[in-house]
Amino acid sequence: MSFLELSNITKRFGTFEALRGISLSIERGSFVSLLGPSGCGKTTLLRIIAGLETPNGGSVVIDGSDVTRLPPEARKLAMMFQSYALLPHMTVLDNVRFPLRMQGSSSTADQRQRAHEALALVKLDHLADSRPRQLSGGQQQRVALARAIVYQPRVLLLDEPLSNLDARLREDMQIELQDLHHRLGLTTIFVTHDQEEALSLSDRVVLMRDGAVERDAPADEIYDDPGTPFAADFLGAANVLKVLVEPSGVRLSNGQMLTIGQAPKNGEALLILRQEDLSLGEGTLSLDGIVEARVFMGTRVRYVVRVGDDTIRVLTDRDQSAQPGDRITVGFSPERARWAR
Amino acid sequence: MPHSLRPAERGAGAFGESILLIGPGAALLIGAFLFPVGQILVLSIVPPEEGLSIWTNFARFFEDDYYLRVAWRTFRLSVIITLVTAMIGFPLAYVVARTPRVVGYTLLLLTVLPLMTSVVVRTFGWIIALGRGGPVADLLSLAGLGARDATLLHTETGIVIAMVQVLLPFMTLTTLGVISTIHPHLEEASRTMGAGFYRTLRHVVLPLSVPGLVSGSLLVFALSISSFVTPNLVGGVRLPVMAGAIYQQATSTLDWNFAAAQSTLLLAAVLGLLIPYLALTRRRHG
Repeated sequence: MSFLELSNITKRFGTFEALRGISLSIERGSFVSLLGPSGCGKTTLLRIIAGLETPNGGSVVIDGSDVTRLPPEARKLAMMFQSYALLPHMTVLDNVRFPLRMQGSSSTADQRQRAHEALALVKLDHLADSRPRQLSGGQQQRVALARAIVYQPRVLLLDEPLSNLDARLREDMQIELQDLHHRLGLTTIFVTHDQEEALSLSDRVVLMRDGAVERDAPADEIYDDPGTPFAADFLGAANVLKVLVEPSGVRLSNGQMLTIGQAPKNGEALLILRQEDLSLGEGTLSLDGIVEARVFMGTRVRYVVRVGDDTIRVLTDRDQSAQPGDRITVGFSPERARWAR
Repeated sequence: MPHSLRPAERGAGAFGESILLIGPGAALLIGAFLFPVGQILVLSIVPPEEGLSIWTNFARFFEDDYYLRVAWRTFRLSVIITLVTAMIGFPLAYVVARTPRVVGYTLLLLTVLPLMTSVVVRTFGWIIALGRGGPVADLLSLAGLGARDATLLHTETGIVIAMVQVLLPFMTLTTLGVISTIHPHLEEASRTMGAGFYRTLRHVVLPLSVPGLVSGSLLVFALSISSFVTPNLVGGVRLPVMAGAIYQQATSTLDWNFAAAQSTLLLAAVLGLLIPYLALTRRRHG
């Protein structure tokens, strides 16, 4: 049995089914992302693990003991909220000390010592006597992180902790989170709607959709082979083409025939092509299309190309250039093609 | 200094418009409050006989045991009433803020509903409920806390019970205003950090509710120290409070100057509480 076992968790809010039977096994020390669009149930699942919501069915087992009916204060987990949830009437140090104080395991001096150590870990020891509202968003966030790790929780739950930060700070925090994870080895569950964040931070990505697990795989695997049209679209906005598999090859909506190995059985199928695997000009395989739009993005350029009934997006280097209205060829190599299951 | 730029930014006619908007309120305040209060202040320093000191009326108050006892009773009851309303009002406001809307609003409606009826009607209700053979006295005797024909009428306990009911909405509404601004995430975070429900209430919700509890307490204290109808009807003649004594003085003995002196003392007591509070909150916000 894994360290954290969720079996067949269901949750309803009135008539809305938020979770429809989620089962997950999470190993000790791993970093798992719950990824999905808003309303997919990822935050509800995190709150059920924390004990802030009671599931309608299923069980939560941590380290061999069933905690499904335990209140949050008895679970020895830490949760970091999107709003940081720092207590405004306490100093930074007292905020970080709060969990130690509530659990009352050691002397006040020892609690203060440990709180200082946790603050030092996020490089904020010099602000120990400030009030939360005197800090910047990024600093508040690190205080929340220090408070979450100060008591060696069994599981660290992070609810979209980076979404209120600006782009630059978010990158810094991602690195810091990873670094902290390597140093402390805490079992971490990270909720996000940002696929890039999920892929860059976690060992494993659990993609959720409408209260169910759509795909559950290591980050690189789920990126290389999304498996479902939803996953392909959500993870890096890949192109999904509806094609007809015939004995002689794969027919596109514009009538073009392609020869792709490992095609599924004859009939309708969904072909997944990542934007960055395509380029303008002839390739091993080529698609004929018309440029609809050109989006300049700094280091790269995205082209929107119409191919028959489908619109595909191509992410290329800056040196390739075409203008809207141009007839062009989009090339790719067959081993980059993936099929939806 | 962005502040000094403000009036100019609002345009030339703004000053005149402000005067117009503030006019009716100011007129009412000056005509119906400041003027009568000023008159009371003047009356209070007019001595009963010519040639005596302007403090004569006040001296009479402090020299007479009877009036000091009335003042002490009024003060003591007001403190008890304030504490009891805070102890009932805080949990009630918390429940209203944190339960689903329908439940919360129903509770709130039930709390505020008595405000829609006359205080006289409510007090007569309490006279029946607290009196001999009434439900409250019956309950107390059932619980073994009083004789079978016990009555809470004409007791200080009776005054407190009736006053708490009258003033509870003020405490609940003021505290509710503050509690609803406390983000539920703070309580949830506290729970995940190992504090149970009651410890979260004690260490997170209560300290953050202090501003609401303080302003609610001031409101309730000011209202109860100057209340007249309920203590008079429930307490009766044996337990006069200051407002009742002033009323007696002004209507029965027609000693307006002494009544004015007592009113001035009452006003001073309320201001003595309000002014430090206002100064304190200004410093906190500034």
